[in-house]
Amino acid sequence: MDKTKMSYKVSQFLMFAGPAVILFCGTVIIPFIYGLYLTFTSWDGVSKTKPFVGLANYAASFSDTAYWQALVRTVIYSAFSVILINVVAFLLAYLVTSGVKGQNFFRAGFFIPNLIGGIVLGYVWKFVFNRAFVAIGEAISGGTVPSLLSTTGGAMFCLILVSVWQYAGYMMLIYVAGFMSVPESLKEAALIDGCTPSQAMKNVTVPLMRASFVQCIFLSITRCFMVYDMNLSLTKGEPFNSSVMAAMHVYNQAFTYKNYGTGQAEALILFVVCAIVGVTQVYIGKKGEVAA
Amino acid sequence: MANKILRKLTGITLSAVLAAGMLVGCGGGAAAPAADGAADASAPTEAAATEAAAEASSDAGSDAAASGSGEMLTIFNSKMEIQDQMEAMAEKYSEEKGVDVEVYYSSDTVAAHLSTRYASGEPYVLSMVDAKDIYSLAAEHALDLSDQDWVKDTSSAIAVDGKTYGFPVCVEARGVIYNADAIKAITGKDFVPADYATLDAFSALLDELKAGGMETPVGIMKEDWSLGAHYLAEVYEQREDPDAFVKALNDGSQKIEDDEKFNSLMDTFDVLKANNYAAASAISAEREVTEQKLAEGEIAFMFGGNWDWSVINAYDYSENMGIMPVPQNTSDGTNEKLVGGGSKYFFIDSSDKVTDGQRQAAKDFLNWLVYEEGGQNFLVTECALVPAFSNITLAVADPLGASVKEYADAGKLIDNYNYLPDDHYAVLGAAFQKYLADQSDRAGFAGEIDKYWTSATLAEH
Repeated sequence: MDKTKMSYKVSQFLMFAGPAVILFCGTVIIPFIYGLYLTFTSWDGVSKTKPFVGLANYAASFSDTAYWQALVRTVIYSAFSVILINVVAFLLAYLVTSGVKGQNFFRAGFFIPNLIGGIVLGYVWKFVFNRAFVAIGEAISGGTVPSLLSTTGGAMFCLILVSVWQYAGYMMLIYVAGFMSVPESLKEAALIDGCTPSQAMKNVTVPLMRASFVQCIFLSITRCFMVYDMNLSLTKGEPFNSSVMAAMHVYNQAFTYKNYGTGQAEALILFVVCAIVGVTQVYIGKKGEVAA
Repeated sequence: MANKILRKLTGITLSAVLAAGMLVGCGGGAAAPAADGAADASAPTEAAATEAAAEASSDAGSDAAASGSGEMLTIFNSKMEIQDQMEAMAEKYSEEKGVDVEVYYSSDTVAAHLSTRYASGEPYVLSMVDAKDIYSLAAEHALDLSDQDWVKDTSSAIAVDGKTYGFPVCVEARGVIYNADAIKAITGKDFVPADYATLDAFSALLDELKAGGMETPVGIMKEDWSLGAHYLAEVYEQREDPDAFVKALNDGSQKIEDDEKFNSLMDTFDVLKANNYAAASAISAEREVTEQKLAEGEIAFMFGGNWDWSVINAYDYSENMGIMPVPQNTSDGTNEKLVGGGSKYFFIDSSDKVTDGQRQAAKDFLNWLVYEEGGQNFLVTECALVPAFSNITLAVADPLGASVKEYADAGKLIDNYNYLPDDHYAVLGAAFQKYLADQSDRAGFAGEIDKYWTSATLAEH
């Protein structure tokens, strides 16, 4: 059989990638295109007719101040969360690869928050913030202490704290793999050549782990931008809708306020913003990658 | 040669494993959103798309296959507190009547959940929805029930363009819930709600309670639906013509701060707020904690409705509780009436996804609820609902429901206004929360209400 023939290549491709491609189209590409179509209609979600309205939904999205406030809020939340998640994850990874006693136990321990779903995690922390912290605060100060979740700044702080707690363990695993992939011989050579351990870390280990950084930052950015479950169970947008993130606003717009088309258009804008940020970050990150 | 065959075999096996892996992944994904209406922004498109996947894998979405078979009567229940009773009833009903009844529940917004079912082409035969959903769904999705017997026995059924579409499940009303035992323990007198219809009398009672040792006699629910959809809505409802008032707000000819009723209700709210047990943390007060305090008599009053019984009865509640109208210094009679009416409506799906046999089963079920002992018992005794039908004479089991029935029987219910825009409760609920947390004053709150209404799109009706 001639392996350079087109038919051979096509059949090989179909055999291996065919099922995946079909399913990917069915569950991602087609709904995406259908969703795009819906942004041009004023569908309410249940009606049989989908009146075509052109770009009206995009106009509505651009004049929806609550949406842009939510988007700005999401950017701020993501910026803090992404930085903290990665700093904490890197330090944890360093800790659990440094040969500290019981490091496998710590690895498992730090990873566990990630196994709890966002909804459950939100309710657990809500209890901690509303009852446990308040009780401790009242015991110390002797007066009544309002819950952190009842102030606008406090709610944002809680969201960031819980996200860091949840994702740091997951990103830690990727950094652990990064640490392990740096050959001992290189680090040893650097030390013999007179580097201090911190110089070796900065000039040898970290540059060789660049791929881990790119991956972790990409994952944390996309997850933070799309946050919904924890937002719903921890703050539900309260107080006074001041902690409504972009995804939650999109959901409310589409389902609660029944402006399906506008919600879909806003979701698309969120997707574009997220894609631009993610792709830029990966592009910049990949450019300077060094091969070990 | 053998090598070649081996390689081919490996290839086929590999791709088969790959495909199987993908299908398993999708199967799980397909079943989940259909079953519990996963709270996901892209849920309907997902559900539509996964249909294709469900066809490919036979084990995906077992309920998808079930709803298509024979005379299965699928019921969507949106009252969380009666889900257990509904399931028990379904089993019993299936046995007695030989109709397969399946009850589903979702914690999602009703409209959002139904839209996922419609998007996936699997509507429920019988769906329990809110009044406003009937108005938006009826024309396209609901069956005309005007010819049913029960229509003449209720005043709460919903008709659109002269055709009856909505079957009222129960009557619910809002007011101030009181704990008469807790009040009596301090004042020494039996509590007669009618004596405290004015704000002055009510305030005096609060002062008496405070002097007697109950430092903060009031609880306030901070939920946006309670503040926005229930308390603030009374401003529109407690007048002759709510429609005209809302239209005037919408075109800007009426400012809410000039409205007597708004100021009257806010005066009352200020008194409630000043006596709130959670004044320092008003917007993180949890509903369960507030209702527990009310049930156990630590506080005496809370604005709410008879649905709150489902929370209160989880605690060690006092015997004598009830609902009274919101006290106000007014002479227009509104302080002698609760606000409420029919709540939660059944409609029968009219699409070709449902067979006529299924529709008949649904009609029979509704008649069973109204006219047969088993059905009446289920509604009133087991679910502790206040029936919306005049032929049902069973005594209502819970004290809040009994209060509501008393007012309803005496004709002292002010109708719900069911045409508020969908985002009303969320936007103005948030503004109300600001007021509750002392982050805005009455003028600021009124300004937000005016601003909301001038940019709102009124629901057509």
